[in-house]
Amino acid sequence: MQKSWMLGAVAMLATAGTLAFVTQEPAEETPAPMAAAQAPNPQPIQFPHDVHAGTYQMECQYCHFSAERSVDAGIPPVSTCIGCHTMIPGEQQPQEVAKIREYFDAGEPIPWVRIHKVADHVHFPHMRHIAAGYQCQDCHGQIQEMGVLVDPDPAWGKGKMGWCITCHVEQEAPRDCTVCHY
Amino acid sequence: MTEGIKRRDFLKVLGVGGASAGLAGCSTQSAETLLPYVVPPEDITPGVATWYTTVCRECAAECGMWVRTREGRAVKVEGNPNHAVSEGALCARGHSAIQGLYTADRFAGPRVRRNGVLEDISWDEAETILAERLQGSGGNVLLINGPTGPTLSDIMDGFVSTVGGTRVEHDGLSEAPLREATRIAFGRDVVPHYDFESARFVVSFGADFLETWVSPVAYARGFARMSGEDHGEKGQFVFVGPRLSLTGQNADEWVPIQPGSEAVIALGMAAVLVEGGADAGPYASLLGAYDAANAAEQSGVEVEVIRDLAERFVSNGPSLAVGPGVAGQHRNATAANLAVHVLNSVAGNIGRTVHLDSVSSSASARPYGEMETAIGAMAGGNVDVVMVHGSNPAFTLPPASGFVEAFGRVPFKVSFASEPDETAALADLILPDRHFLESWGDSSPRPGVFAVQQPVMQPVPHFETKQVGDVLLAAGTRIGRPFGPATTYDHLMARWQELHSVSGDGADFEAWWRGVLRTGAITVGAPDAEAAVSLREPDAALTYDVPALDGDGEFALVVYPSSRFGDGKQAGRPWMLELPDPVSKLTWHSWVEIHPDAAERLGLRKGDMVTVASPHGSLDVPVWTYPGIREDTVALAMGGGREMAGRYGTGQGVNPLQLLPAVAEQPSGALVHLATRVDLTPTGERYTLATIEGADTQHDRNIAPAIALSALGHEDESGYGEDDHGLSEMQLIGGFVPVETDGEPTAYPLPGAQYGDYANPEETPRWGMAIDLDKCTGCSACVVACQSENNVPWVGEGEVAMGRDLAWIRVERYYETVDAHHAGVVDIRHLPMMCQHCGNAPCEPVCPVFAAYHTPDGMNGQIYNRCVGTRYCANNCPYKVRVFNWYTYTDVPEPMNWAWNPDVTVRENGVMEKCSFCVQRVRDTQNTAVLEGRAVRDGEVVTACQQSCPAEAIVFGDLRDPESAVSQKVAHERTYRVLDELINTQPGVNYMKKVTFHEVASAAH
Repeated sequence: MQKSWMLGAVAMLATAGTLAFVTQEPAEETPAPMAAAQAPNPQPIQFPHDVHAGTYQMECQYCHFSAERSVDAGIPPVSTCIGCHTMIPGEQQPQEVAKIREYFDAGEPIPWVRIHKVADHVHFPHMRHIAAGYQCQDCHGQIQEMGVLVDPDPAWGKGKMGWCITCHVEQEAPRDCTVCHY
Repeated sequence: MTEGIKRRDFLKVLGVGGASAGLAGCSTQSAETLLPYVVPPEDITPGVATWYTTVCRECAAECGMWVRTREGRAVKVEGNPNHAVSEGALCARGHSAIQGLYTADRFAGPRVRRNGVLEDISWDEAETILAERLQGSGGNVLLINGPTGPTLSDIMDGFVSTVGGTRVEHDGLSEAPLREATRIAFGRDVVPHYDFESARFVVSFGADFLETWVSPVAYARGFARMSGEDHGEKGQFVFVGPRLSLTGQNADEWVPIQPGSEAVIALGMAAVLVEGGADAGPYASLLGAYDAANAAEQSGVEVEVIRDLAERFVSNGPSLAVGPGVAGQHRNATAANLAVHVLNSVAGNIGRTVHLDSVSSSASARPYGEMETAIGAMAGGNVDVVMVHGSNPAFTLPPASGFVEAFGRVPFKVSFASEPDETAALADLILPDRHFLESWGDSSPRPGVFAVQQPVMQPVPHFETKQVGDVLLAAGTRIGRPFGPATTYDHLMARWQELHSVSGDGADFEAWWRGVLRTGAITVGAPDAEAAVSLREPDAALTYDVPALDGDGEFALVVYPSSRFGDGKQAGRPWMLELPDPVSKLTWHSWVEIHPDAAERLGLRKGDMVTVASPHGSLDVPVWTYPGIREDTVALAMGGGREMAGRYGTGQGVNPLQLLPAVAEQPSGALVHLATRVDLTPTGERYTLATIEGADTQHDRNIAPAIALSALGHEDESGYGEDDHGLSEMQLIGGFVPVETDGEPTAYPLPGAQYGDYANPEETPRWGMAIDLDKCTGCSACVVACQSENNVPWVGEGEVAMGRDLAWIRVERYYETVDAHHAGVVDIRHLPMMCQHCGNAPCEPVCPVFAAYHTPDGMNGQIYNRCVGTRYCANNCPYKVRVFNWYTYTDVPEPMNWAWNPDVTVRENGVMEKCSFCVQRVRDTQNTAVLEGRAVRDGEVVTACQQSCPAEAIVFGDLRDPESAVSQKVAHERTYRVLDELINTQPGVNYMKKVTFHEVASAAH
């Protein structure tokens, strides 16, 4: 089931002249989370979630700003990155931090490679789950420990609805199909 | 004052719109990027819709619009409830604006004709060429434009006076005779505003006020409030005309008059009132000559009918007479409009239901006579540069007008069309204007009502466009004669700052302006109390008699504006092409309407091709037989037969203007539409009409029953009544035993049934709908609203002909009583049929994969990702509301895919679908309510069909809550459920019977 409207983004960006950023291929085989630190990072900027969310214990929603009020968690605008990194050059990978400035000055978005995705026929409202008191880690794994973000098996990437349903059964949340599929 | 633009500077990047390359099924292992904003726009949250107000420009009525945008893209248009004209409703044509915005056929940028071929050029180059031509024009510039707002109108005036030349307004649908008649009758140069809501007795002399006439959305709303049954009362409506339009189909009585005899009937009625002592002022002597006897003689209507009509017109007041409208514009059209004014005046309706305070600036009231002069000037070589905006005279004028030839003689022709049309095809320079959803403007549809047309998104980046006002202003600067500030926006601001000074109540302009943008429209003061208006001595010589028609053909030809295409503007949009015509239920192609008796006489059946020939031209078109047209009349809809309307509309149907002469009616100068007689000659060929109509009568099935007004309050409650349609006889031979149900048939869930597993079933709502068939006019706005909201694609003419249309709502039209030979009762029923969300749904148990199933909250769910396409459910559905994707119809050309609603799955081939009760809106509302820690309020969930309905016929809500609005409707004595008593489906959709003034054959249903 394709959401063709999304394809519009391609052309829209083409006119904005951003196709210069060629998408890198994602990792072929997703390694187990344990081996994550050694996995090749497909991202255009080697962003360490473990430093931000782990070492400095930043709130997830500082960057993923719309998770509590929208179906979408939100990807931080480049201005959010540069907001801190104007003053913080980056201790371990200053060359990566420098890339942020390049994107920002060029007025271009950072083409992050998508890791977490539910299928197009699934409607996952982030805000309902946040409101119910769930932690981001409950679905996304121990992000604060990941240097390179990987797809935590089996929640993501295998299209397994059973994982969702198991939780919905345990928590007595609705199991009606049209809660997610429409 | 640049915030308004600045905040939409988000185009450079999208929110989290994924740029995906070939997503496959459930897999997430595909190269996909997430693109953040560089700097986030302040009022956009990814995943949350942002709404902007603006003004609809699809016709001259200028209804208020709300536009739903997601991540910076317009995805749905709706009516703006704050707007005094449209009050939140929108018609089918208005909904199609989103397809006009995203149509792939729009011009990608400016073009210039070099060696006979149009070539792409840059805007700078194009504007340089324009400036050079204007420099050398010697002041002979002609600007032709369609309906515009006041600001753009001012800019155009400024431009024309700067470069030297003239400006002519032209719209294919002109109410010039009405305006001229108002001037003659009352000395007011306006198109009146009619208050249908306050009337109790309405007579339309052919005015199609539910479809195209003056302000159809506002009038449909007023009419539904007038004619819808309320506490045992309802207003009456009589339609006087040779053909039942959709408006006519909603009448209680039909007086089928000879075409062109509206004036004599109106005068005859007025004469009867004068006999009874009413004052006709200076028209007393005229009414002496045009009495009821004369009317009867000229119109073929019995004199008693006219007398009876006249008497009821005053005794059932307040009354209202309107007409004749574009389809009735004949050679004496001004006189006919004047006669209706006289009737209204004699009956005391002026100031009560007829208000003379409307603005007169709209192009829809401009006469063709002005174009005639312009054509003369072009043909005579007196125009050096002609510019056309918002108007397509090469199509909307009859070929006989000579426009195309005259236009061709102008040395330099400029078109501001944003998509191809017949006029742009002749142009030397094309400067594509922005779509109205991308540009600034304003409107003042009535005195005191002002609305802002604000851009709701950045221009669609596939098309390099420039707003016409900015181009004109820049042209003035380039030729060294700037007039006023540099942009349309500056002019708009200047205008609204003026408005602020009179109505801002001392508030800060910025704050006031933000408020205006938020509400979309303001009403400045109450219109001045109307001074007593009385009839004046006419200052023009007029003829009221039935006009002669050209030729000696067998049939009078009625050419009427299409409720789907207007004058042809929307004829390139697949939504509108595939929308079944509310009268004929035909899609895509044109047809000629003919009475079944006349067809039989000629040996014609539906779908037979005929040549329709007038003294002015001929065309081939299939026949569609229609009992709602006089036997001596045939009818063709305007708007079809476009030659340059993009990939969908080009070559669809025929253009009836080819059969018309180019005659300007006197004194209004309007183009004459009822002008000629025609002959029909069978060609021997057949055409497969793409219709959605299964049957045009109910075959005694009582799908859309009615109840007489007199029977309300003491209806026989024995279900199907005396006549059980032979059921008891059949039961004698065995079988046909009704299903046994425990408890009340309307109980939900069924006793013993286990629907879902919500934690708290008592508090789970049962969503349901009530549709008042006494209000529903069959206008079909809901159909297009649903398509837009739910990503319902179009399938094409051939697929429709095979019964594969995908619309989730089908507006059924059943004839009960239609008599084209005698004045009397007309009873045509309209019923919007969609998934009934049965409590005991036949589709559910037959699905082998549980794709069709029942939700705990009472909806019939359809899970696309489960569906394997067996189509068992569709076969078992007694309502024929399930539709199947035989192909992937959603592969649409870029950027038409931008119109998809991101909240609804886009379906592929092999999937069954149907009305979902807008489940995405239900879930969205529930999410909001949970976040705010409260229950969903009654009326908070508004389905797309309900939102758009001009007649306010649809109510949606929780059937379990006895206090909800929908439960109140369900408890009404008129409420029934289609086929429920026969097959025990227990639908969640409840219909309220139409109320008639005549006795209904089967009283119980």
